[in-house]
Amino acid sequence: MSTPSDTKPLDFDAYWQDTLSQLARLPAAPEVEEIPLRSTDFATAYGVQLTSIGPYRIFGYLSIPTGEGPFPARYFLPRYGSVADLVPQGTSNGQRQRYVTFAICARGQRRSDRPYSAGFPGQLTDGIDDPSGYIYRGIVADCCRGLEFLVSRPEVNPQRVAAIGTDMALVTAALCPRVTHLVYTPVIFFQALERAAATQAYPLEELNDYLRQRPEQRDQVSQTLAYYDASHFAPMVGARTLLMAEAGSSPLGPAAMEPVTRSIRGSTDVHESENSGYRDGAYSELWLSRELGVPEASLPPHWR
Amino acid sequence: MTILSNPAEFVSSVKRPADIDAFWEDVLAQTARIPLQIDVSHDPLRSSPQVDVYQVHYTSLDHVRIAGWYARPANHAGQLPGLLVVPGYSMEPLIPKNWAARGYAAFSVAPRGKLRSNGQFNPGYPGLLTHGIVDRNTYTYRGFYMDSCRGVDFLLSRDEVDADRLGVTGHSQGGGLSVVVAALRPEIKVATSGAPFLCGFMDAIDLTDGYPYQEIADYLRLHPDSRQQVTDTVAYFDGISLAPRVTCPIIVNIGLQDSTCPPETGYALFRAIGSEDKQLHDYDGYGHDANNAVHTGIIEAFLAQHLEP
Repeated sequence: MSTPSDTKPLDFDAYWQDTLSQLARLPAAPEVEEIPLRSTDFATAYGVQLTSIGPYRIFGYLSIPTGEGPFPARYFLPRYGSVADLVPQGTSNGQRQRYVTFAICARGQRRSDRPYSAGFPGQLTDGIDDPSGYIYRGIVADCCRGLEFLVSRPEVNPQRVAAIGTDMALVTAALCPRVTHLVYTPVIFFQALERAAATQAYPLEELNDYLRQRPEQRDQVSQTLAYYDASHFAPMVGARTLLMAEAGSSPLGPAAMEPVTRSIRGSTDVHESENSGYRDGAYSELWLSRELGVPEASLPPHWR
Repeated sequence: MTILSNPAEFVSSVKRPADIDAFWEDVLAQTARIPLQIDVSHDPLRSSPQVDVYQVHYTSLDHVRIAGWYARPANHAGQLPGLLVVPGYSMEPLIPKNWAARGYAAFSVAPRGKLRSNGQFNPGYPGLLTHGIVDRNTYTYRGFYMDSCRGVDFLLSRDEVDADRLGVTGHSQGGGLSVVVAALRPEIKVATSGAPFLCGFMDAIDLTDGYPYQEIADYLRLHPDSRQQVTDTVAYFDGISLAPRVTCPIIVNIGLQDSTCPPETGYALFRAIGSEDKQLHDYDGYGHDANNAVHTGIIEAFLAQHLEP
């Protein structure tokens, strides 16, 4: 009999402690090299390479404002797809004037794809039969390594470090207490198996594809996903949080996400999507600038 | 550049090259001389009881192998309308199961540099937008556009596809590619273009400060002497230059607060489209999504009206 994928495993804490211990045993061995093509008069861009568990070498884009720091920091966590941008598409490049930004390319994504190049679709079910070998265990470690690197930079104000992104932003904020602010947009890892049953859209359709071929693996898949469910990470998050919920009665809407919202230890705001990249994006940008104490929000020209 | 209070009044700086038609006819002819060498294999992992999914590969310009996903209804009688689905800039090409479930033979192409089509050519992201940009004969999008156009050839190679019912659809870069494919392949009978990228390149780098257009601004910051060459090159690839060739029915949707593909360029594109049957849906209060939550239904109805799945 299958158990829900949001049932917390008894060894949840030990599983993640072991992951972080593996990471701690490996030196990050950072290499930092300027990228003149992406540098401007107001910010310098760097390519960063770090060692994560495996051991595996990962890449990230670092940008440091011109002038006297320290600066608040924005840490962009990977979305589901091969491309990680210097700053997310649709946001203003001008944010690099006011913030240290760091975007990590997790294993499998471009620039972190040697030797492992992920398929999209494909990554979500890679090793999903076994929690110890699930690809996302390494991806979470990559995200934590990136955060360690970011807060080690003297240009960063350690009181103002925001993790921004989808599922990996929540997980990183849960496992890395040095995240002070969180903007979290749930996408995959919240009641994933149950939500997959009601959709044919990727990435959740990957779970349906996988189980259509291997129905006997349902319990194992459910057990693995339980180590990644947002409801178990939420009580570990102490950061000031903005949860970007979907609209209305969606399975990721404010009401459905209430178990997560309620559990986050940090003060939490919920923004219900207005199904507008502009309105949602502007809300998030204004929230971040206010919470990080930056007087002027970094709004793109068409949002001003 | 100052953002106009009414972006519909924006006048694009794009100058249509006098020899643009000859340029593209030559590229199309070069491409046509290369055998497609289609390879189609059923993908049981991605198929469902309702939809059959196939992995497709074919050869395009420069002999680059191109991948794509082909999906069609598992059970169908007679011929199906064909729908080419063209991808965004940094997104992965989707498996078009949703279109197949609606009765289309749908092909989602991964042009060169995209995952599964990057074995021979992989300039990366960011990077693809400026690769070879100082010469129209080497610019990435010369092949990238042909890779997309060859999706039409793939659909035409399928017995189950009705050659008289072919459409193209896409959003963002896909919105730009929809215009390009409709302009270069007269077999296309209907097109939809959402938040079109690749339109007004040189306008956009002043109108926005975000990626992907920022890639061109980055390039010009490092290579200021190349500005004229870049301007000359992208004029051949600009959707606004190619739009007069589009004659099929087409709908375009844009968001007036789009910070990725500025609405000014969307209006300029729409004015340049040659079709008599063209509609613009401009949504105030929306960004790069261009009100997809609502507009998706309009696209589905428009394609169904013309392609009759």
